[in-house]
Amino acid sequence: MSSHEDKSEVTDTDLVTAAQKGGMEAFEQLVARHRDKIYARAYGMMRHEDEALDLSQEAWVKGWQRLAQFHGDSSFATWMTRIVINLCLDQLRKQKRQRAESIEALEEESGGVERYMPAVNPNPTAHLERTELRGRIDRALGQLSAEHRTVLVLHEFEELEYKEIAKKMGCSIGTVMSRLFYARRRMASLLAGLKREKTE
Amino acid sequence: MNQNLEFKLQAWLDGELSGSEAQAIEREVAADADVARLAAELRTVKSAMAGNETARVVPETREFYWSKIQRQIERESAQPAPARRMAVWRHWLSPLAGLAGLACILILAIKPGTPATFDEISSTGEGMEAVTFHDQSAGMTVVWLADSEREQPQIQSPAPKTEEGGSGVEVE
Repeated sequence: MSSHEDKSEVTDTDLVTAAQKGGMEAFEQLVARHRDKIYARAYGMMRHEDEALDLSQEAWVKGWQRLAQFHGDSSFATWMTRIVINLCLDQLRKQKRQRAESIEALEEESGGVERYMPAVNPNPTAHLERTELRGRIDRALGQLSAEHRTVLVLHEFEELEYKEIAKKMGCSIGTVMSRLFYARRRMASLLAGLKREKTE
Repeated sequence: MNQNLEFKLQAWLDGELSGSEAQAIEREVAADADVARLAAELRTVKSAMAGNETARVVPETREFYWSKIQRQIERESAQPAPARRMAVWRHWLSPLAGLAGLACILILAIKPGTPATFDEISSTGEGMEAVTFHDQSAGMTVVWLADSEREQPQIQSPAPKTEEGGSGVEVE
């Protein structure tokens, strides 16, 4: 049987069971099904194509090695997403250690200019096509610091609660609240700025 | 607006506040236009982002992407095996090495530098066998005389034993 034969009728659960018995072919099917999602999560956090590729592939290797620990408490895709998120967080921590303390890093905790900005109104994203809105959000995310982007991705896209984010990021709930607040304020400012660019 | 109120306002929007705290924030939003504006801004960002993550596709073919994963899996599955074997050996050898070390220490501590406890000299004559022990630590020599026609003596240390048909003679 070719490893690329379409097995779309086979469930993830069946493929996981086969892979847990050593079936590399079944695991390849799982990779093929979910590779874009895992890569997208890595890219969303790292904003760097090569890093996202490396980390997503590392996540699949870890997934294979830890397959016996998967008991189906969540979906396989969710389980894999958690693995790649943890790898990305490790990588971001390494990068942060290498990065010298900067004014930007200090401002992330205290809010920087966002602290003094008036609230952006009316809604800058109103009446936008979904594709255009996604594009703007993506560009705005690309302009955030790694800490602000990470907390937004984990809260808005992964829908994690404050305490779960704090645990993953190795910080206090207060820090999560602070980062999330200023990340949102910066996003509001960026989305408003992008709207102005469009209309000018 | 103080920072505590800002963070609580956000927590309220995220459903992270308890009932009584949530009601307190609702009252603040209703009473203060600045708080209401900030709440609207935070809500806008939250709702704009929900479900609006840009989809991305792996920029490599399925075959190439998988080949790299497969190679890494094979490389890593080859490496840990010896490490696992070493771990098993370490698991068993560590306590044994510890016991051996302890035994050495005990031996040296009890009789440091003591040579062999006793020398043994055996000579056999016609109808008679003589076995001599010399215990250097005790400064004692024991000579066994036994009728070789009869049962051989059983030698036990350190105290000499007189077998039936033989006799022990102590020599200073």
